[in-house]
Amino acid sequence: MRIFRPARRHHPETIIALIDVVFFLLVFFMLIGRMDATAPFDVTPPTALTGADMPAGGITLSVAADGTMALDGEEVFLQDIDQRIQSQLEADPDILIRINAHRDAVLRDILPRIAQFEAMGARDVVLVVTPPGPAR
Amino acid sequence: MYSDISLNRRKPTRPLISLVPMIDIMLILLVFFMVTSTYLNLDMIPALAQSDRPVPSQAAEAETVSETLLIRIGTDGSPFHQGKDFTRDELISLLTVRLNRNPALHVIILPTGGARLQSLVTVMDIVTSAGAVNMRVVRLEARQ
Repeated sequence: MRIFRPARRHHPETIIALIDVVFFLLVFFMLIGRMDATAPFDVTPPTALTGADMPAGGITLSVAADGTMALDGEEVFLQDIDQRIQSQLEADPDILIRINAHRDAVLRDILPRIAQFEAMGARDVVLVVTPPGPAR
Repeated sequence: MYSDISLNRRKPTRPLISLVPMIDIMLILLVFFMVTSTYLNLDMIPALAQSDRPVPSQAAEAETVSETLLIRIGTDGSPFHQGKDFTRDELISLLTVRLNRNPALHVIILPTGGARLQSLVTVMDIVTSAGAVNMRVVRLEARQ
């Protein structure tokens, strides 16, 4: 007696779900990724426990540990910074100015800039910080 | 006359668009973005806020009523007050005592120009954590 086992029905696996997942992951990493060069040099912001959420928009002044400065990712000389900030402030007096300075930058490179921005009429100047990492 | 002729038109074959190259490209892009993306958790502390500018009446009141505490920061980053170096804990206890006495205490931080930014941020952090609401960072400017 021969017993015929019924042939298993082959379910074709759909790859549409895989494509969906991969696509969502792709969009996620594209959105959170920072492809923009905020500074042409290494900037490690200082750590602070009491930092608040970073508001979006504005101008970013990056300051390297050796005092080199960049405005919105482009390295600039000191005299050009004031001129460019002034023109931006004339266009929008409420514009946010972010100072993304290296934690080892000396204050004589940073504080005069803040005072200068205040003299120009800037209303919101913030220092970029990072929350302390987990204890290892 | 009737002839039994049937014309069978061939079903047009559907052009097969293979999804495999698209998946390959998407996976390559995904790996690229996963590797190159850096997730930075950035916060901010205000260095200059619109609320910092006192209205004239408040300024006059502040001059007469408020009590101030001056904290200096040396080149090595250590805070000192009235010539005495303070550790983090000592600074917190000093601030706590002074803030208990006067919650509207004005804390003025005067860092040396050669101090690092991290030392200023650390002191600002301590002052804020202690509960001070009035804090200012000042600097000495050479007279020209």
